[in-house]
Amino acid sequence: MTGLSGDVPPDEYVEAEIQSMLAEDPTVAEQGITVVRRENGLVLYGEVESPHRREEILRRVAERFPDTHVTSDIGVIRTQAPTQVEELP
Amino acid sequence: MVIRIAAVGDVHLDEDVVGRFRPALEELPGSADALLLAGDLTRHGTEAEARCVAREFGDLGVPVITVLGNHDHQCDQVPQVVKVLEDAGITVLEGTGVVVDTPGGRLGVAGVKGFGGGFAGRCASDFGEPEMKAFVRTTRESADALADALLSLDCDALVALTHYSPVPDTLAGEPLEIYPFLGCYQLGQAIDAAPTALALHGHAHHGTERGTTPGGVRVRNVAHPVIKQAYSVFHLGGDQLD
Repeated sequence: MTGLSGDVPPDEYVEAEIQSMLAEDPTVAEQGITVVRRENGLVLYGEVESPHRREEILRRVAERFPDTHVTSDIGVIRTQAPTQVEELP
Repeated sequence: MVIRIAAVGDVHLDEDVVGRFRPALEELPGSADALLLAGDLTRHGTEAEARCVAREFGDLGVPVITVLGNHDHQCDQVPQVVKVLEDAGITVLEGTGVVVDTPGGRLGVAGVKGFGGGFAGRCASDFGEPEMKAFVRTTRESADALADALLSLDCDALVALTHYSPVPDTLAGEPLEIYPFLGCYQLGQAIDAAPTALALHGHAHHGTERGTTPGGVRVRNVAHPVIKQAYSVFHLGGDQLD
């Protein structure tokens, strides 16, 4: 988990704006990130396709909301070959 | 006889992802007869991103069949994206189908991107403002195109490939409020109107893998964040459910 400092508790509008920004900002374009409001800030969770995309999300959110405490729990999706198949008779 | 199908959706390729899937994809000729991609191949639907898809998913030694997703429409470059993919040997379906000869029989795949709209009793109606009517008509036209494509194929095993979901089952985990943006019952109705053996979709990153249509057709959400591996493999005509 990664934390970005700040001391302004986010409201519903901040949550909505971050969600929209993540989807609509061309440098991000992520619709699979969930924004959760907690007492001391926001938690972002979900999964992305590369470490670069995770860093870009955090950079853009910190840039837009420098006074909001943001914690990240965003993972990078694994790409290993499957070890099992599903049999469908 | 068994037909082996590999599938994944929502890979959202750009330069930063090229090469991540390739080692697993190189194993495909030994484990699957075809690879199906359930849309959202790119981040923004640019020609440059499509070239990344072509590099990663082209020349795999098995037929690759895809539909586009909403991300692939973002930059309004669909014709260019389709051309790049088709030049790489990838078959792009939109209201169309294809039959592939495999050692286990003829695999028929019919595909559309699909659209939102919602599910029975909780869906948008073709009523009111022009924008709402256009939304629902898009949903219906897409589902009708899928039904026509499914019914046009002569094959041993029929698979429906969409980006949007045909059932709510595989959306479990997503907020209920956004279900109408993730799929529509009309796609399920189209799938049930044909002798479909399996329906594959993506789009719902927080959804779940398994569901069935009201008519009993098995539905699998193969969005990459859901399956958490390079692709899933299904054996149609296999011995037992796992």
